[in-house]
Amino acid sequence: MRDRYGWTLISLHWLTLLLILAAYTLGTLLQDMPLSPTKLKLYAWHKWIGMLVLFLLPLRTLLRWRDGFDHRRDLRPWEASLSGGVHAALYVLMLLVPLFGWLHSSAAGFPVVWFGVLPLPDLVGKDKVLAEVFKELHGSAVNLLVMLVALHAAAAVYHHYFRRDGVLARMLPWLRRRT
Amino acid sequence: MKWLLSVLLASLVTPAWAQPWKVDYARSEIRFVIKQMNVPVEGGFKRFQVTADFDVAKPEQGMFRVEVDVAGIDTGSDEGDAEARRPAWFDAARHPKAVFVSKNIRRDGPGRYVMTGDLTVKGRTRPLSVPLVLTAQRPGGWLASGRFALKRTDFDIGGGEWADPSVVANDIDGRFKLLLMP
Repeated sequence: MRDRYGWTLISLHWLTLLLILAAYTLGTLLQDMPLSPTKLKLYAWHKWIGMLVLFLLPLRTLLRWRDGFDHRRDLRPWEASLSGGVHAALYVLMLLVPLFGWLHSSAAGFPVVWFGVLPLPDLVGKDKVLAEVFKELHGSAVNLLVMLVALHAAAAVYHHYFRRDGVLARMLPWLRRRT
Repeated sequence: MKWLLSVLLASLVTPAWAQPWKVDYARSEIRFVIKQMNVPVEGGFKRFQVTADFDVAKPEQGMFRVEVDVAGIDTGSDEGDAEARRPAWFDAARHPKAVFVSKNIRRDGPGRYVMTGDLTVKGRTRPLSVPLVLTAQRPGGWLASGRFALKRTDFDIGGGEWADPSVVANDIDGRFKLLLMP
């Protein structure tokens, strides 16, 4: 029996992490940046990366469902519930964060043209009040996502160094399992 | 007799087409679309003054004059508005008005005209050709509408660090709707 997810899912996991880190870094930089051509470029990249996370999500969900591996199989029941809950929340937030960003962009009157090529439809019409609401929701969802990513990473480190059950090595197959 | 003569004289010196229209500003707009990172972003001007002087029967002999308060620009964001007023863009402190004056109006089909004239922005005057559509309104008045194309480099709008047209495009797609009431 296979003891880890398939290679595609493992690649998508790390790719998503890189994309989220990049989008988060850009988003944080943009907050205090005065208007400039660089800001417009970085804003565009922030949105393009966010949309990539959003569009990769259904693919990941489908592959994970088809993969059939259950990462929780060696866990105690309460750990399995917690792990399942955190994973579900991570997926929901990977949906909500870019979706709120897209909604904010639409409501603010700045449509998204993916990588400068593919115009994405506006989800809502231009509306200043709505734009502020989605901006707040985007920010709150980001904070929640960051906390859960930290919790997720802490759990992986805990499994690797304290439980030594090979959970991290499953996601990092070139990492030697600690015994 | 004397007053009749003066009325007659006045009607001779006052051209028949001189009919200044009142502009319903609440229902009129001057807007534009400009691409930022290839994203079409809509904006407009909140304050402008229009002198429309023409006879509906002979608009060819009429005249349009439009003065736009560039400080009243709406770029879709507050920081965009502030930036657009700075010297790199409109330099609103030194050039508060953008002015279009028609020189010639020619018929281009039923209710359609082509207006040519001079557009002055930021102290630079360039010829501009504007298609104009006149549509009768109920109960009265006319809707004068049209679109026009501008290049921001022609007027030195957005120079310096903003010169790169792949960030903010050179092409500006302008459009207007003016409600003219008798």
